[in-house]
Parts: sequence; C-alpha cells; structure tokens
Amino acid sequence: MKYDFAVIGAGPAGYVAAKKAASAGLKVVMIEKKKLGGVCLNEGCVPSKTLLQAAKTYHHAKHGSIFGVEAGSLSFDFGKAHTHKNSVMDRMRDGIAGLMKKHKVEVIEGEATLLKGSSFSVNGETHEADNILLCTGSSPSIPPIPGIEADHIVDSTGILNIDTLPKNLVIVGGGVIGCEFACMYASVGVPVTVLEAMPEICPNLDSEISAILRKELEKKGVTFKLGAKVESFEGKSVRFNLDGKTQDMDADLVLVATGRRPNVSGLGLEEIGLDFDPRCGVKVDSRGATNLPGLWAAGDVTGQAWLAHAASRMGEVVVHNINGQKDQMRHDTMPAVVYTSPEVAVVGLTKEEAIERGMKVKTGKIPMAINARYIAENPGEEGICKVVLDADTNRLIGVHMVGGACSEMIFGATAMLETELREEEIAEIVFPHPTTSEIMKDVFMTVR
Amino acid sequence: MANPVIMPRQGQSVESCILTEWKVKEGDTVAEGDVLAVIETDKASFDLESTASGTVLELFWEADDDVPVLANVIAIGKEGENIDDLRPQGSGSSPSLEPVASSTPEAPAGNAPTTQQIIARPEADSSTSSYTPSSGVSPRARKKAIKLGVDAETLVGTGPGGRVIERDIDAFLAGTPRLSATARIHAKEQGLEAPVRGSGIAGMALASDMRKPGSIEGAEVEPVKGIRKLIAERMMQSLQGTAQLTLHSSFDATNCQKYRKKRLADGESKVSINDLIAQAILASLKVHPEMNAHFLGDRLAVFHEVNLGIAVDSPRGLMVPVVQEASKMSIEMLSSEIKKKAIACRDGTIQPDDLSGGTFTLTNLGMLGVDNFTPVLNPPEIGILGVGGISLQPKRNMDGEVSFVDQISLSLTIDHQAIDGAPAARFLQALVNHLENHPGENPQKIEGEE
Repeated sequence: MKYDFAVIGAGPAGYVAAKKAASAGLKVVMIEKKKLGGVCLNEGCVPSKTLLQAAKTYHHAKHGSIFGVEAGSLSFDFGKAHTHKNSVMDRMRDGIAGLMKKHKVEVIEGEATLLKGSSFSVNGETHEADNILLCTGSSPSIPPIPGIEADHIVDSTGILNIDTLPKNLVIVGGGVIGCEFACMYASVGVPVTVLEAMPEICPNLDSEISAILRKELEKKGVTFKLGAKVESFEGKSVRFNLDGKTQDMDADLVLVATGRRPNVSGLGLEEIGLDFDPRCGVKVDSRGATNLPGLWAAGDVTGQAWLAHAASRMGEVVVHNINGQKDQMRHDTMPAVVYTSPEVAVVGLTKEEAIERGMKVKTGKIPMAINARYIAENPGEEGICKVVLDADTNRLIGVHMVGGACSEMIFGATAMLETELREEEIAEIVFPHPTTSEIMKDVFMTVR
Repeated sequence: MANPVIMPRQGQSVESCILTEWKVKEGDTVAEGDVLAVIETDKASFDLESTASGTVLELFWEADDDVPVLANVIAIGKEGENIDDLRPQGSGSSPSLEPVASSTPEAPAGNAPTTQQIIARPEADSSTSSYTPSSGVSPRARKKAIKLGVDAETLVGTGPGGRVIERDIDAFLAGTPRLSATARIHAKEQGLEAPVRGSGIAGMALASDMRKPGSIEGAEVEPVKGIRKLIAERMMQSLQGTAQLTLHSSFDATNCQKYRKKRLADGESKVSINDLIAQAILASLKVHPEMNAHFLGDRLAVFHEVNLGIAVDSPRGLMVPVVQEASKMSIEMLSSEIKKKAIACRDGTIQPDDLSGGTFTLTNLGMLGVDNFTPVLNPPEIGILGVGGISLQPKRNMDGEVSFVDQISLSLTIDHQAIDGAPAARFLQALVNHLENHPGENPQKIEGEE
C-alpha cells in the first residue's frame, strides 16, 4: 500500500501527528505494536497521575483536621485505585481510537521495520509512504547492578501493575519518576527510601527548587539518601555505598527509576543508515528531520525532552513541515512538571543556564507563603516562585515554581516566554484575586 | 583651542576618500597617532591617524561618506569648546549649519583646508545622508494608512529613527508577522526588521529572528563597499567596456629552472619563475611595443616605458600595484620591486600612487593549482598575461625523441578593440621564445639579437 504519511508508534507524538496530517488531507497510517497512547497513556503520565490523585485524596482526608475535617477511621484500597486507573486508561485509549477513526487514520497493530527507499514492512507486508514519522518512544533504562533481575525489583512500568501496597519501598534514583512514586507511596503510609547517587534530587531542576521539594517529601515520610550508590541486590536486601561506607537495607519492593532510553532496536535503523545513538536516540534537527530524506522522528526516540507534551509538539512540527509550513521546536519554552505534592513546574532557563549562555540576568524570588490562597489551601507547605530575566531587554526567560498545584499555572509563564514578554508588559496583566497565580505577578516586585 | 583632523591627500590623483569606518566616537579621548577611522581611495584603504590629542568633540562625517581631501574630518579638543568654525561644508552630520569658510588659526598651517578646496567638491553634499533621529509617520505613509484604514501610529516604523514609512503600511497589510514584545523593542531601538515568518508561536517574530534591513536568511549579508565595490565596478566596466579575447599558450620551463639553479650556484640572488615571466614580458614588449598601450576610445596611447602591474591577492581583496618604469630594471631589481610591492599590499601600506599608471599587467594563479584561466583586462590597458600552473608534458625534440618537460601555461587577454589576434599571438610567441631560450636576459640584449 502507498500512503502519504506513515506514523510508527501511537504515543503522544504519533497520534497527534497522525490526526493533524489526516485532517490536512493526507492519507495516513499509524502502526503500533502494543496499545494506543504509548508510554504516556499506558505506562507513564496517565496511570501515575491517577494513582497520585488516589494518594492525594487519602492524604487530604487524613490531614483534614486543620480545616475541621475529621475523617475518622480511614482505609485505602489500592486495588480500587487501580481499577479507577485502568478505567481512565481504557477510556483514553477508546478516545484515541475514536479520534483516529473520525480522521480516517488507518491503524495497524504490529511491529514495523523500516526499509530503504521510504518504505516499511509490518505483519509481513511492505508499504510505502512519502513521509515516515518514527516515534517509538522510550523504555526504562536498567543499570547493570548484580541481582537486579529479582522479582521484587520493578521499573516504572512494572510498579504500575502492582495493586497491593508493599511493607516498604526502596526507590533507586531520585529523578522526576522516583520522586513521583515516592510521593505516592509515602502519602498512603508506605515507608519510602530514595537512593540518589547525585548530591541532590532532580539535578536538572533549579537547586533551590529541588531542595524544597526534597524537604516537603521528607515531611511526608520519605527518607532520602543522597550520594548513595547501589552496589547489589541480595535477596530482599539492597546494598549501597554512602560516604565510603557500605550499608544494607531491606526492601519489600524496589523501584528502579534511573532514567529512560530511546526505543531504537529492532526497527532496522542500522540497515537504512539512519543517524542515531543507542542512548541519545535518533538525531533530528529543530524540525524533526533525520539524516534520511522523508524520514522524521519525534518524541522520546529522539532523546529530547522526555515529555509527552514535547513529543506531541514535535509530531505537530513534523506535520507542519511536511505540509510546507515552516515550524520548529522551541525547547527553551518547553514547560516541565513534577507531579508530586507539592508540584514543581518550570519553563525556560535557570539563572545558571542563562549565565552559561553568556546572558546578563536579573532574578526574582518570592515564597508562596505570601499568597493568601496558597496558605489557605496548603497550610504548612513550603513553596517558592523564581523568575529569571534577560537584564539587557527585561525579557522573562525562566520561571521556576514549587508549591501546591503550580502545574496548572505554568502555561501562563510559557505564554509569556513564547511571546517574549518583558517585565513592563507582564506588570499590566491582571491576575484574578484570590488565586495562587498572583504569585507570578508579585514575584516581579523582588526582581533585581 | 579645538583642532580638526583633515582628510589627507592620498597621492596626486586622489580628490576624495571614502570614510569606511569610524574607530572612535564622540566623547572618546584620543592621542596623537591614534587611529580615528579607516579611509579608502579608489585603490586601497588606510588608517586615518589623529594629528591632535584630546576629546573627540564631533565627527563631521558618517561612515561611507565620500570626504573631499583636506576637508576637516573630526574635531578634537576640550569638552564644551565651540567647534562651529571647524565644521566643513557638506558634511553629513550638520547639514543645516552654515560653515565658516576659513581655516582656523589653530589648525596646522600646512594641512589647513582652504575655502576653494572645500567648495571645489560641492557634489559631496548630495551623496551624504542626513540621519534625523525623530520618529513619526511619513506624509506618504499617513496618506496611505488613512485610505486603507490602518492606524499608522501603532506600527513599528522601519524608516530612519523608527519613522513609519510606506513600506511599513504595506508590510502590515501583507500580514508581516506579529512581533514579540522584545522583538518590537529591537525593531524600534535598533532599526531591525522581522522576517516574513518568525520562529515563535504561529510564526511570531522573536527577538532572535530580527535582522538588519536587507538581510537574507541563512547568509551573512555585508554591504558591498570600499575596495570590494571598486573591484566590482572595475570588473563590470572591464568586461562590458572592452572587447576581450584570450589566447592560450605554454612554455617549456626547463631553461628557466636551469637559469634559477645557476644563479643559486653562482651565489646570486634568488628569482622566481614569476619574476622571469615579468622580465620576459618586458623583453617582449620591447619587440612588440603595440601591446604596451592604453585604449582610450578615440585615441591609442602607446607607451615608451613599461609600468608593469602585478595582481596581488591581499586581505582587502585584489590589488594591482605597479612597478613603475620596470622596463629599465635588471632582473634583480625587478624581482625585489615586485616583492616589495606585494608585501606593501598585504600589509596595507601601499601608496595610492603605486596603484595607478600601469601599462600592462601580470597575474599568476599557478601557485593556487590553477591550470589555465582567462585574465580580465585592467582598462585602459590592452594586455594582461595570466600564468597557470606547471604540468609535466611530453615534448618531441629536433631528433624526434620524446621526453617529459615541465610546461607552464600562459593566457594572454587583449582588448580586440585596440589590437588584433595575430599581432597579439606574435607577442605571445616572443614571450614563450624568451622564456624557453633566454630566461633572465635583459631586453636590450634581445633587441640586439633580433
């Protein structure tokens, strides 16, 4: 069969691109070997956020006394939370299937192999397409630690299928994924220990934000061992080195959350001469173009961003370019969120990144506790909002927040960055009162 | 006691110089000998050095202005001093001021500009731009805006000083991208332009998209000015204004190489193949003086002496210094003169008078691996010899035996308006003969032999 556009992988890059291309009139096929929705819907964003909400609900019920709410005896049925999670996933998958049907995107279940000359094979049949989008996502990266193959040691995909609470949880890796699961399990009373090899958790974030997040999670009962390097797993024991001393710790369940790697094997990429790296992914330019004509890549497989919304945008950029509309990724304005309680939401450059690029910067910082709505809703919780400005133009180039549900207001900061608003313009934007978002206005009072 | 620095006279034929770049700005402190600006004649560029010390009070001209020689270029003195008397007529920055047409007593006597000299070039007025840093809307733009219902006052102007001009109205109507808040400031303060489609959301032009007017995506755009502009004009003039014909030949370099080896063995100074070719040109022009000429349209000037131009690849571009009266020189002197002129061109110290008056030109690309090329005439000269690279070629001798020899290619471009192909070919033949049989021998001797 001959198509205008073939999409390999039905995750957030793939289905968004497929829908977009099809509604622009292209004949589109989408190939998926597992389930529609990719990592995001099946192994990542959606299930983890559903379970996090379950944990949050339990936590609020348990700690409602400051608001005068006493829930009495409280129980948590993790199985039920999983049932809800599964129903959300089913519903979303049905939604994608319906969307594809509506836009006449042909969906083929199977494993695709790329062939030379803008063609590919799936289920023994060879097809051609003018343009092919490779968006096969990523998988958890498992470090070669002795004993890691034991049954009670799982990755972020495996843990989402465990519907009973462990006696305790040890998480290897204090990155975004590790922190989210730490928050989830600690919120429902499971003792959690996070072993992080670096001196601070979430090392890609502003260091002050990371430290606040860590302290808030410690309040929920998470123990962090920073600078801890896991050496081996023996039986239910985790052996790690901390400050030169070897220590052992019992773990009922171990989550290995040491990052992700792009899915580049088994696709015939070497054979067609695609420029890629097994760890860093398929090399693409700002439009998503690879080194081969007609072959594009988007999402985690490119090793860029590792975010569902970034993947969707990359897919969209590719379709725009295929349709002759100039478009490119703007990674500097890509927001990122850690869905812990409190949440972390950031967009743009940190002060250090800006200085590294040779920019002169001004910064501002304000505690969330100056905001009425924030302290009313998040008693005792620390939060902060930081801004980074280009000192030459007063342009806002970075916003970094931790506190409450700040993920819901980061889009405002993204819009400010995308339109290159300066301090002067932002000062004239009206923020509804009382909202936590007012922090985004007040923070500018501290800029110097 | 403010002092002017004047535009120096760069050689007898130079009446004005282009001030290509200022190296100082008003308020700077300068000392005698400091470089104030880069100036260019139609042949070369030079540094304008300060002849006074103090604070820069006013720059009388703008970059790219054509400044008459001996006109005041800059005023240097103490802050607050009155410099009205120093302001030259027709300078760019103060078009409205009536200059006082007399030299100031403080100006160095020998360099002081005189009324006559300044007034002698009134055409400089029209070519200089007058930048007015006032924004607003041009009447033409306003008229169009009212007619088409555009609020001109809200547009970012791309005219001088952010003035809204007609093209801004056109751009607005053509749907030029919206500018981000920061891009808008760049447009206004730095006079930058937005591309047709920016890299921001839905094609919004971001600060990083803003370009200098006239820029081209994916390219560094520089204005063509100074020497490049002159070369461009000369080349077009040459190819459009003459009837060029190129004749190709080559010579066996065996004897040239022998001659050079012998000189070294005899302890004599080193000469290059290029020097030998230059000398062969002189020798051949003795026999064929009709090639040593200027074609002037209605007249043909055949020169008695050869002023040999040598094309030099300098950092500023192609330059052609002239070895004056080369026909009188020995091979040693010729070799040393060619070297001196080439170094002066590369160092930027060549004098303007050394860049004019050529009667025949030699150009050599052999060392850059070029086998053969078509030289472009340097009008009004009627001949230019191009030298290509050395290649090993078979050659049959008198006895019919074939051997391999080093062969160097020659290309002679002539102005067919002035001379025909056959006499030019005979000149080339004489040249080849000289190089193959009498390398390094002086012309007088050849003349005697013939």
